[in-house]
Amino acid sequence: MAINPKKHEMPAQDPKVRAHNFDEVALGYEEATALAEAERCLNCKNRPCVEGCPVNVQIPEFIQKVKEGDFEGAYQIISETSSLPAVCGRVCPQETQCEEKCTLGIKFDPVGIGRLERFVADWHNEHSKEAPVAPELNGHKVAIVGAGPAGLTCAGDLAKKGYKVSIFEALHTPGGVLVYGIPEFRLPKAIVAREVEGLKELGVEVVTNAVIGKTLTIDELFDEMGFEAVFVGSGAGLPSFMNIPGESLRGVYSANEYLTRSNLMKAYRDNPDTPIMKGGKVAVVGGGNVAMDAARTALRLGAEKVYIIYRRSMEELPARAEEVEHAEEEGIDFRLLNNPVEILGYENPDDPRDPKNGTVRAIRCIKMELGEPDDSGRRRPVPIKGSEFELEVDAVIMSIGTSPNPLIKDTTEGLEVNRRGGIVVDEGGLTSRKAVYAGGDAVTGAATVISAMGAGKVAAASIDEALSGK
Amino acid sequence: MYKVVRRRSLKPTVTQIEVEAPLVARKARAGQFIILRVDEDGERIPLTVAGTNPDDGTVKVIFQVVGATTEKLNHVKEGECIQDFVGPLGRPTETEGIKKVCIVGGGVGCAIAMPVAQEFHRLGAEVTSIIGFRSEDLVILEDEFDACSDRLIVMTDDGSYKREGNVTVPLKEMLASGEKFDMIITIGPLIMMKFVTLTAKEFNAPITVSMSPIMVDGTGMCGCCRLTLHTDEGSVMKFACVDGPDFNGYEVDFDEAIARGRTYFDFERKAHDHVCNMYKAADELAGGANA
Ligand SMILES: Cc1cc2nc3c(=O)[nH]c(=O)nc-3n(C[C@H](O)[C@H](O)[C@H](O)COP(=O)(O)OP(=O)(O)OC[C@H]3O[C@@H](n4cnc5c(N)ncnc54)[C@H](O)[C@@H]3O)c2cc1C
Ligand SMILES: Cc1cc2nc3c(=O)[nH]c(=O)nc-3n(C[C@H](O)[C@H](O)[C@H](O)COP(=O)(O)OP(=O)(O)OC[C@H]3O[C@@H](n4cnc5c(N)ncnc54)[C@H](O)[C@@H]3O)c2cc1C
Ligand code: SF4
Ligand code: SF4
Ligand code: FES
Repeated sequence: MAINPKKHEMPAQDPKVRAHNFDEVALGYEEATALAEAERCLNCKNRPCVEGCPVNVQIPEFIQKVKEGDFEGAYQIISETSSLPAVCGRVCPQETQCEEKCTLGIKFDPVGIGRLERFVADWHNEHSKEAPVAPELNGHKVAIVGAGPAGLTCAGDLAKKGYKVSIFEALHTPGGVLVYGIPEFRLPKAIVAREVEGLKELGVEVVTNAVIGKTLTIDELFDEMGFEAVFVGSGAGLPSFMNIPGESLRGVYSANEYLTRSNLMKAYRDNPDTPIMKGGKVAVVGGGNVAMDAARTALRLGAEKVYIIYRRSMEELPARAEEVEHAEEEGIDFRLLNNPVEILGYENPDDPRDPKNGTVRAIRCIKMELGEPDDSGRRRPVPIKGSEFELEVDAVIMSIGTSPNPLIKDTTEGLEVNRRGGIVVDEGGLTSRKAVYAGGDAVTGAATVISAMGAGKVAAASIDEALSGK
Repeated sequence: MYKVVRRRSLKPTVTQIEVEAPLVARKARAGQFIILRVDEDGERIPLTVAGTNPDDGTVKVIFQVVGATTEKLNHVKEGECIQDFVGPLGRPTETEGIKKVCIVGGGVGCAIAMPVAQEFHRLGAEVTSIIGFRSEDLVILEDEFDACSDRLIVMTDDGSYKREGNVTVPLKEMLASGEKFDMIITIGPLIMMKFVTLTAKEFNAPITVSMSPIMVDGTGMCGCCRLTLHTDEGSVMKFACVDGPDFNGYEVDFDEAIARGRTYFDFERKAHDHVCNMYKAADELAGGANA
């Protein structure tokens, strides 16, 4: 049988409709499509796809099970290495990971590995009724700081081995970026909530409203509460700004604030308690997943026009290909090779009490061209002299990156961090402090869900190794 | 869930509650704050810790009803629970080396200032307190301030109680008479703090201002609470929730802070009306049932 050169399309909501609702955009494969897509896999002996996956999901093996119609079997294979398949199948940047390495991709579209993973995980969630059973406790206590993918994964792995695990989370809902950052239309909150419920069934305690470094320190977790090891998965939540004039005007948001108001504080559900700017023209500065999420959220909240302002070109956009595609379909206006130099505010000198004073009126940008490649290997954007122009907008959302929050470093003596604020760890996730482990964005800076999850797994294994002998 | 164990009305729109939150009670120091949510889906609002009782694990906060969330909080009865209560957040007020302090509080800012005055008193510093209100019916915490101050001056804008005028008047008199404070600490409406700072500046007196911008998470994650400081090394952005809430008054860009504070003005008014109408309707229903 000849190979179908095209990846099977995943059905999606009509762009015109979905631009005005927060329901999930991509609808997932039907069973028949999943079987057909699985048939495209060549079951390569050298398994290059596995190399491309940061946690080495046994891809050909699980796809083989899909081909056989044994979806639960496929799920079991994936969950040997991945704790959050329903999440990763949706949000992994597959085109630069597993699918980039796929043999089929040399000539045709690669196998839709992420889509199959999502199908398998959703199938399992829908059909498997088996509640996880809490294993017998082994007498050791471990504390986890932060309930993002890194912390949740580390907690799950340890709980399955019989550790008594407590997660301390600063916010009122566990999930990390998966609940406060990534919007409902890309990752339904119910999926994350289900993962957390599963952990609780395994006996994991989830303590919300606990800011480590403030409510409790790492030292207190050891000395007063009797934890024998601590895993820090506190993420990279500190938003960066550009340091250009006008960034504190009313109507300028960090993407974290904007998305938190919409997701965690539920402005997306028209929560009457959460204020957020709706409507008008919105400029989102940046080109990553965060920028795409902010732009598409603004659109759904009722903006009449949304721009993405990015200083490089389409080729360098770091966001997942699928998100860029979806954003374009929904009518987001990409203004590439532009860099903001100032945000301009409304000022009425005749009436200092004019309520509009101090609100955003426009963003001034300079045009860029691509020069020589820089350290990252991407061509460096260079400003074109005299090319400044103004774009009229009512709100600006800064999505130019985040870094690890210094709260834990500042309150934990002897915890070494690097120049960028990332916690320094060895290959097993151990920090410069005895029995303190770390992983995920708190170590690497803003990265991906799958790498955070992988780091949580590695640390769980190290913790088990260190404590099980005791 | 966090239980409200005691509740006391200080004024018709100013209430003090004590909430069961042992971890916070153990840690909180003067100048720090908590963030609470009254109910599921509620807004997160910051309130200053006005005292703690580590023995029974309670934390005291004093709030003025200004909008939707404080209105809801004011309807929580003794023995009922609120959804979330997290803290202590922010840095405690700097007390080191301060032997003589002047606390200048305005309106409900006095609730934030009171524990700071108490802390200095406890540490043995000489405390002068100047507290100001719009009018007599808004005066709060006079007895509490009296108990922890070596000297207390109460001002009302309209002269309906004690001395007439705003808080800068007695401050200026003291400074002009050559009185020196190791620190002036001011807490209240931004516009008041701006003028207290200008008064201090005339005399080169050191001043700390306690900023209360709109916040969301309170942990440095959203940047909503950012403000600009104009320092000798240039302008820098700071996050009030983690770098503050106390800042050097000379450096704070008040005009920007005032504008940012108004961001959700219309929204807040609507939300407050909505909540008030809800309670009104509930009261009417209850009234109807009684009749
Ligand atoms: C809007 C957005 C979209 C993204 N899209 C994608 C995508 O499509 N694909 C992808 O792979 N990645 C994406 N990412 C990146 C990905 O979400 C992160 O790399 C990943 O969530 C990191 O996981 P983590 O567990 O290290 O940290 P986080 O998810 O950040 O979780 C950290 C948790 O720790 C808590 N915490 C922090 N400090 C403390 C403290 N002192 N005490 C207690 N708790 C604390 C935080 O509240 C948070 O809940 C996106 C990120 C954002 C912001
Ligand atoms: C660090 C900090 C400590 C605080 N401590 C106290 C306290 O001890 N007691 C107390 O009564 N209040 C305190 N506040 C102010 C309190 O948080 C606000 O009054 C509250 O958020 C209002 O919520 P709301 O929904 O009832 O009103 P909203 O509808 O949100 O606002 C109603 C009115 O209050 C103003 N407002 C909103 N947020 C703030 C704010 N953060 N600061 C000042 N005015 C605001 C609005 O501009 C509007 O005019 C503190 C604020 C901060 C940042
Ligand atoms: S976890 Fe992510 S990278 Fe790994 S196989 Fe699944 S989709 Fe690909
Ligand atoms: S590289 Fe592609 S075709 Fe080969 S086994 Fe992996 S998914 Fe299948
Ligand atoms: S309140 Fe979010 S950073 Fe300060």
